[in-house]
Amino acid sequence: MHFVVCAKQIPDPETPPSAFRIDEANNEVIPAPGISPVLSQFDGMAAEAALRIVEAAGEGKITVISLGQESAQAAIKQVLAMGADEGILLEDDALQGGDSYTTARTLAAAIEKLGDVDAVFCGRQAADWDMGQVGLGLAELLGWPSAIIAKDVQIENGAMHVQRVLADGFETVALPLPAVVTISNEIGDPRYPKLQQIMRAARKTVNRWSAEDLGLDPSTVGDAGARLKLERLFIPELGGDVEIMDGESAEEQAQQLATTLREAKIL
Amino acid sequence: MSVSERDSAAPVHPAERRKKPRAVRFTAAWWAPAVGLSGLGLISAIELERTNAGREVFFNVQQPWIVYILLAALTGLLVYGFARHATLWMVGKPTPGLLREIPMRARNAVRLGLGQEKVRRDRYAGIMHLCIFSSIIVLTAVTAQVALEDDTPLSFLHGDYYLFFSFYGDLFGLIGMIGVGMALYRRYFDDFHRIRWDERVEDHIIIWGLGLILITGFGVEAARISVTELQGFILEDGTQLEAHPDWARWSFVSYVIAEALGILDLTQDQVLAGHTWMWWIHVILAFGWLGLLVFTRLDHMLFAPVNAFLLRTDAPGRLSKIEDIEEQEVFGVGQIQDFTWKQLFELDACVRCGRCTEVCPADLSGQPLSPMHLIQDLKAHLADVGPEVQRRGHVGGDVREVARQEMVGEVIRDETLWACRTCGACVQECPVMIEHVPTIVDMRRYLVMDEARVPATAQTALENMEMRGHPWRGTNLTRESWMEGLGEVPVFDGSQDYLYWVGCSGALVERNLPVTQAVFRLLRESGASFGVLGQEETCNGDPARRLGNEYLYQILAEQLVETFKARNVQRVITNCPHCFNTFRNEYPQFDGRFEVLHHTEFLEGALADGSLKPRHSLDSSVTYHDSCYLGRMNGVYDAPRQIIELLPGVDLTEMRRSRSKGLCCGAGGGNMWQEEVGERRVNHVRTEEAVGTGASEVVSNCPFCIQMFDDGVPAIQPEEEGRIRPFDIAELIERSVLGENGAGGNGAPAATA
Repeated sequence: MHFVVCAKQIPDPETPPSAFRIDEANNEVIPAPGISPVLSQFDGMAAEAALRIVEAAGEGKITVISLGQESAQAAIKQVLAMGADEGILLEDDALQGGDSYTTARTLAAAIEKLGDVDAVFCGRQAADWDMGQVGLGLAELLGWPSAIIAKDVQIENGAMHVQRVLADGFETVALPLPAVVTISNEIGDPRYPKLQQIMRAARKTVNRWSAEDLGLDPSTVGDAGARLKLERLFIPELGGDVEIMDGESAEEQAQQLATTLREAKIL
Repeated sequence: MSVSERDSAAPVHPAERRKKPRAVRFTAAWWAPAVGLSGLGLISAIELERTNAGREVFFNVQQPWIVYILLAALTGLLVYGFARHATLWMVGKPTPGLLREIPMRARNAVRLGLGQEKVRRDRYAGIMHLCIFSSIIVLTAVTAQVALEDDTPLSFLHGDYYLFFSFYGDLFGLIGMIGVGMALYRRYFDDFHRIRWDERVEDHIIIWGLGLILITGFGVEAARISVTELQGFILEDGTQLEAHPDWARWSFVSYVIAEALGILDLTQDQVLAGHTWMWWIHVILAFGWLGLLVFTRLDHMLFAPVNAFLLRTDAPGRLSKIEDIEEQEVFGVGQIQDFTWKQLFELDACVRCGRCTEVCPADLSGQPLSPMHLIQDLKAHLADVGPEVQRRGHVGGDVREVARQEMVGEVIRDETLWACRTCGACVQECPVMIEHVPTIVDMRRYLVMDEARVPATAQTALENMEMRGHPWRGTNLTRESWMEGLGEVPVFDGSQDYLYWVGCSGALVERNLPVTQAVFRLLRESGASFGVLGQEETCNGDPARRLGNEYLYQILAEQLVETFKARNVQRVITNCPHCFNTFRNEYPQFDGRFEVLHHTEFLEGALADGSLKPRHSLDSSVTYHDSCYLGRMNGVYDAPRQIIELLPGVDLTEMRRSRSKGLCCGAGGGNMWQEEVGERRVNHVRTEEAVGTGASEVVSNCPFCIQMFDDGVPAIQPEEEGRIRPFDIAELIERSVLGENGAGGNGAPAATA
């Protein structure tokens, strides 16, 4: 069996709020100085789900794919250290930027290029923009069935059995392979890598594929192919006013307060 | 240990220079009366008695040569037994560095082994041991002299020396009886819990055996005296032994017994028969007892001094470096043969006295770690698998397949290893110099790096160090948040004298920010030339190393040593005792040699030389909590106490456990980032002790300790009124030097409260 884990590198969600800056002119987040980007947590959990299946079966191969910049190698290495077999970085100027659609399109092209993939594991959403669309888009573009927000995944007799998290419990669905599944945090924390594996991962070479390698027209991917345009990115200004109620006695002040609140249509 | 670990350039701390030789005084106090009495005996023997005193050694014993057969048998047994022990130790890895620092090792063997310095940390046991130990040494010498007199051409047991010989033989026999009596009392009549934690039949045999040897020894002597020296006796060959009661009195114990025998009105034949029986019982008991050396914990008589010789000569706070970590097949210790042979030797030295467990913060809180049982479990495991490992090591075969049980995980459970605070209390107390902490950390290394079995919260801390360069999750602060409102904060550029190292806790944990600011204000006030690194600081790796991730530690340490060198750092002042210990004791392993001071030491110096002036009386009663890594690991006990003395209006009440006996706050060894398992939390136990002093503030100097107290106080004192308040010593000094609002410095008029 051959599984693909899609991994995204994101700005560290644990960045202190005071260090969070944005460039309003270009609608971009300014990376906080001295804080390295990390693997999106849900993607680590997706890798954990795939690894558990391979471990239980005693065989299988896991390829981790990331669409991103050079630095995303670190995210790929992290999944390799957990136990994945191969890593592919989709990196090319033409592939940069874009939206959920172009991401799904690029990943789908890479998965088609791999050819023999039985299942794709994605995080339920990337922990930076929280769109949660790439997994489903990928399934659509590949023409495969999909299940989202899974807390447990098993593969038996050529079918994927997925426990999906619902608001008041969970449901179990079965999907024929190949299929796409997105993993939720209920699956549990990703494993801590063994040192042997960390060192093995460090020695592995990560393959790089460009838009051309994937046979994608540069105008259909990255910024050029994006259909969703970000109009404005800003940090909302939160402010407050304090008004001290006049009045001789507490009673008077309370009356004043009630009147003011009523005028402001709060009461 | 490797060459790179040796730290000859380690600065001598002011606190160390002031250490008082207390132990020496105690030794002298004990030995003086015994040596003095013997000396008096010698002088009086020479001065008062001009005699031809002496005795017929085997006057009443047939076939005394059987003794030499017993001696040969004992020697054979000892050789065989210790060779067997040694083959088990040799399954371990080589122990590098043992032949370095021989003079210091020899001193340790004498001071800690023969001088029993650590045994005396329990005064009762110390006196008991000195009694028994000195008695065994002297009486062995007495016996050897008898053998020499009888079986060699040497002849010296006569005249003045014989009388003196009789005197000190009895004196040390009596001293031995006192020791045995103390041992028996503690074992059977005193409510002394820790010797019953793992009590075995051999413990009774050893002490009763020794007691009987001494009793029969006196009995034999009394019978001989009764017949020969009190009554006079004719030997088989017709020699007439005249009665000499004046000689007999020198054997003052046996003399009294002999006189008492007289009351029983026994015939000479009865006494002689009793003498023969008693003599043989005495001899057989003595040889049999020495044979116990091989089978029982009596072996500590030999192993304790040897283990003292093997004891590390470098800082106790230093963990070993795994050299060439990327080329290791096993990381840390997963199986018995992964230990060094010194670590295996230690297992045999353990006497199950329970002192380690008695002071272990985990055990005190009902958590699943008892250092004594850990060592004993490893010892049993060594006996179980050692012979087969040794055989396969010789004839071939997979050594790693021998054990039927996983050593790490089954013999020693994960939670046992995680409960260790690396506080070093067990190592400090161990009378036979076992080093539990490195053994525990070695097994943690295996858990983390080889097996990747880490408690979830500790895993998060490790991942944070790896990804974010600090162990704290979800911090709202940056490394420069503490600088707000302090005016200009100088950046260290290599031109200043000191780098002020704030540390992750000092910069990122809200409670510790005021401490960082206090130290900063005081440094500025003292006129010291210093700078900070701000955003460029990263974790120095201490929590990673203590949690067992040596690989991550090495990466962090190497990076930081590079940063320090690039910035031309020579002297560092740290906020945190853990940073302090790592820089001072462990960075030399990475070729990082810096002069390192904890802020406590620097501020003490500044107060002492007048660059900081305590202007305001604090009117406060405090108790001082020794952090493990400043105290036990680095011996800084006096500086903080001197500071407290120098501050006006501060009363110090010590807790029962203080200085080298101080109890850990519970956070050490990466436990800051773990959920505690067990009956109680360590910080609650320690907070209770602090509250018990009645002080209004508990003062420490470690960000972890302060957080632990902050957490413990509301649990111990639910009422907000009258709670004890935890402070760093720098905050205390700041209040006295700069006033409550931190603005009274710079020569501002004294506004005494």
